[in-house]
Amino acid sequence: MPSGFLALVLHMHLPYVRHPENEHFLEERWFYEAVTETYLPLLQVFERLVNDKVPFRLTISLSPPLISMFTDPLLQQRYDNYLEKLIELADKEVGRTYNSPFHKTALMYQHRFRQAKYLFNDVYQRQVMLGFKKYRDLGYLEVITCPATHGYLPLMMVQPETVRAQIATAVDIHRQYLGTLPPGIWLSECGYAPGIDDLLKEFKLRFFFTDTHGVLFASRRPRFGVFAPIYCPSGVAAFGRDVESSKQVWSAREGYPGDCDYREFYRDIGFDLDYDYIKPYIHPDGIRINTGIKYYRITGTTNHKEPYVFEWADHKAAMHAGNFMFNRQLQATHLSKLMERPPLIVAPYDAELFGHWWFEGPLWLEYLIRKIHFDQDTLELITPSDYLTRFPCNQVARPCASSWGNKGYHETWLNQANGWMYRHLHFAGAQMVELANRHPEASGLQRRALNQAGRELVLAQSSDWAFMMSTGTTVNYALSRTKSHLRNVLKLTAQIKENHIDEGWLSSLEGKNNIFPRLDYSWYQSHYRPDFS
Amino acid sequence: MTAFLPWFFGFLIIFLFAGAFLLLKKRQANFTLRPLRPSPQKMPLAKLDSPLFKEEYAGDLTIPSEVMPQPQEPEEELPGKYNIDRLVLMARDPHWLYAYWEISATTQEEFKTNYGPFAWGQSQPVLRIYDVTGTDFEKQSTFEYTDILISDQADDWYIQVGQPDRSFCIEVGRKFQNGHFITLLRSNVVSTPRASLSEQADEEWMWIENLYQTIKYQYGISSPLIVEEIAGRAGIVPLGISSPGFYVSQT
Repeated sequence: MPSGFLALVLHMHLPYVRHPENEHFLEERWFYEAVTETYLPLLQVFERLVNDKVPFRLTISLSPPLISMFTDPLLQQRYDNYLEKLIELADKEVGRTYNSPFHKTALMYQHRFRQAKYLFNDVYQRQVMLGFKKYRDLGYLEVITCPATHGYLPLMMVQPETVRAQIATAVDIHRQYLGTLPPGIWLSECGYAPGIDDLLKEFKLRFFFTDTHGVLFASRRPRFGVFAPIYCPSGVAAFGRDVESSKQVWSAREGYPGDCDYREFYRDIGFDLDYDYIKPYIHPDGIRINTGIKYYRITGTTNHKEPYVFEWADHKAAMHAGNFMFNRQLQATHLSKLMERPPLIVAPYDAELFGHWWFEGPLWLEYLIRKIHFDQDTLELITPSDYLTRFPCNQVARPCASSWGNKGYHETWLNQANGWMYRHLHFAGAQMVELANRHPEASGLQRRALNQAGRELVLAQSSDWAFMMSTGTTVNYALSRTKSHLRNVLKLTAQIKENHIDEGWLSSLEGKNNIFPRLDYSWYQSHYRPDFS
Repeated sequence: MTAFLPWFFGFLIIFLFAGAFLLLKKRQANFTLRPLRPSPQKMPLAKLDSPLFKEEYAGDLTIPSEVMPQPQEPEEELPGKYNIDRLVLMARDPHWLYAYWEISATTQEEFKTNYGPFAWGQSQPVLRIYDVTGTDFEKQSTFEYTDILISDQADDWYIQVGQPDRSFCIEVGRKFQNGHFITLLRSNVVSTPRASLSEQADEEWMWIENLYQTIKYQYGISSPLIVEEIAGRAGIVPLGISSPGFYVSQT
C-alpha cells in the first residue's frame, strides 16, 4: 500500500450562456474559449496518457449547464464558426510574424486551433461530452455532477424543495448523458450547510467536497483532520480540501501559474495589434476582446514583457509537476506516521484554470500523472468512490457550514452587491413550490408553463450571477440575466394562477431558455422523492 | 468671360486644397478615436525587423474589462413588494446574520386597528434578536434578546451577532416609548457556523456498505498531534486563494 493517496478533482463549469438572438454575444465566448483552451486540451492529455499506457484516476465534475452547452446544436455550430475564424487569424499571424521571435508561437497556435477543429468535428463528432464519457467508461475518470445551474445551496436551504429540484435536475441530465447515476456531487463553490447532505442521500449521492474548515470545524473533532473523509450523520461522506496543494497551484503570487516563463494572459493580440488589422476578429461593434493568441511570457512583475518560448514553459511545467509531487510525498510520508491509515490529500481545482488562465496547466497535469506513475511509489491517485470502497469505515460528524469563497463562508454570495436577490429568488421559489403542490397532475399547456417556470427559476439561481455582482465583473450581464429569469418565473406563475397562459410567449421562452428539456415541475413538489428502482 | 476663368480655376484649386485638408483632418480624427491601448506591433506588416521584437515595453497592462455591446433596453424592474408577510433569516458566516422582510398592508392595518390609528407613527421599528441555542423557541417563554432600532424604510439588515455556533431567531416589531414591544413578524431559526475546532473530541464511527449501518465505538487514544498540526495550519488557511472561476486573477 502507498504511504498516501492523492485525489485530484477538476470541477468543470461555466454558466449557461446561449443567445440565439445574437451571434456575437461576448459572454458566449467564455464557452468557446474554454473548449479550445481547457476541455479539448484535457481530453488530449487523457488520450496521450492512455496511448502510453499510463494508468491514472481523476475526478471530474461536469456541471449540468456545461453538459447542456456541450450538447446544444446551436452552440456547436457557433463554436465551429468561431474556430474557423480563429484559424484564419492564426494563419495570418504565421505570415505576419515570419522571421520574428513570435513566429514559433504563432505556428503553435495555428497547430493547436487546427487540432481543436479536428478533434471537435472528426474525433468527437461535435460531442465533446462523449470524450469525457469515453475516459470514464475506460476507467480513468470518475465523473460526478454538481447542482443543476450551480445554485449556491446554503442560501437556498430556506426552501429545501428548490434545493432538491436543483439536485434532481442534475442527477437527471447526468443519467441522460453519462448513462449512470452520479456517484457523488461537487457542491457549487463547496457551499455546504447542514441538511444538504440529507437531500444528497435521497439521490444516492455518496459524497461531496467541502473546504478545509468544512471538515476541520465539524461538530466533532475529526480524528484525521482533512486527511480522511467524515460521514455526515446521514451517511454521506464529506471530503475536505487540502490547503497546501491548493495554495501551490491557486495562489496568484506563490502559485506555479505566476512563473516568469509561463504565458502572459493579459497580452492578447485582440488588444495589442493595430485596430484595422484585428478588426475582423474582434467584436463587430469594434470592442476589443481576447482572441486567445498571446505572444508573451510573464517575464516579471513589471510591464516589460518578453516573447514566449514554449520549450522554457514546457520545462517549467515538468519542474513544477515534480515539485508538486515532491511536496505531496513529503506530506504523505509525514502524515502517515500520525495516522493509522494512509492519508488522503484532496486537491480540487476549477478546471478552467488549466489551459485558459494557466496555459500550461494541462501540460503540468500530464507531467504530474506521468511522474506519479513512473517515478515513485509513495503516492497513489485515487477517486472518492475508490477510497470509500477501500476505507468504508469513517468517523461521523456534521461538517461545518462553509464554502471555498472569500473568508470561507457565504459572504461572496451574500453581501451589499447581491443580497437584494434573495427576497426575489425565495419568493419565486415559493411560487414554484406552491404551484407544483397545487397541480399534482398538470398536463398540456399548464404543464409546459410549469416546467418552463422551473427552468427559469434554476437559471436565476446560478451562483455565477451573484459571484459576478460580488466581484464587479460583467455585472450588467449578471443583473440582466437574474432579473429576466426572475421576471419570467413571476409572469409564468401569475399566468398559471390566472389560467391564462400566453402560448406564443411560452414557446419563445422554451426556445430561448432551452436548458433541461426534461426538467419536470413535479420535482418541486414538497413530497417529491426520487425513485431509482 | 475670359477674365472669369482664372478666378474659376483659382477657386477650384482652393476648394480642392480645402477638401483635401478636411479629409486629412477627418482621418486624423479617426486616428484619435482608436483605442488608447499601446499597440507595440504597429509597424507595417511586411517590414518586420527582428530586433524590434526582442524588447517591448507596454505602457500599461490594464485588465481588459468586458464591455456589454448589447443595446440596453429599459428593463422592467422586479416588484419592490410582493404584498406578503415574511421575515427570512440567513446565517452568512460565524459572526453575521442577514434578514429581509416585508410587512403587508393588511398587517399594518391590523396593527392600527389594535393599537390606534396613530400607533404606527408613535412607535419605532425594531429588530429583536433572540439567542435560542439549544432550546425550542415556541415552548420557552423568556429569552435573552438584543434590540436594534431600524428605520421605517429598511427592509433588510446585516446583523452582527459575533457568536459562532449559536442559534438565532429574530422578530420585526414596533416599540412604543414606554418600552412595550409588539411583534409583527417572526423569522425562521438559523445557526451560525463554527469558526474553530469543535470542543467535542469524542468520536463516533460509521461503517457503510450497501446499507447505512452505524457502528459506534470509542478510540482510547486520540491523536492530538495531528489536530494541533492542522489547527496550526488552519490559522493560516488562505481562504481566499480559491476564488472560483475564470476571474480569480482579475479581481
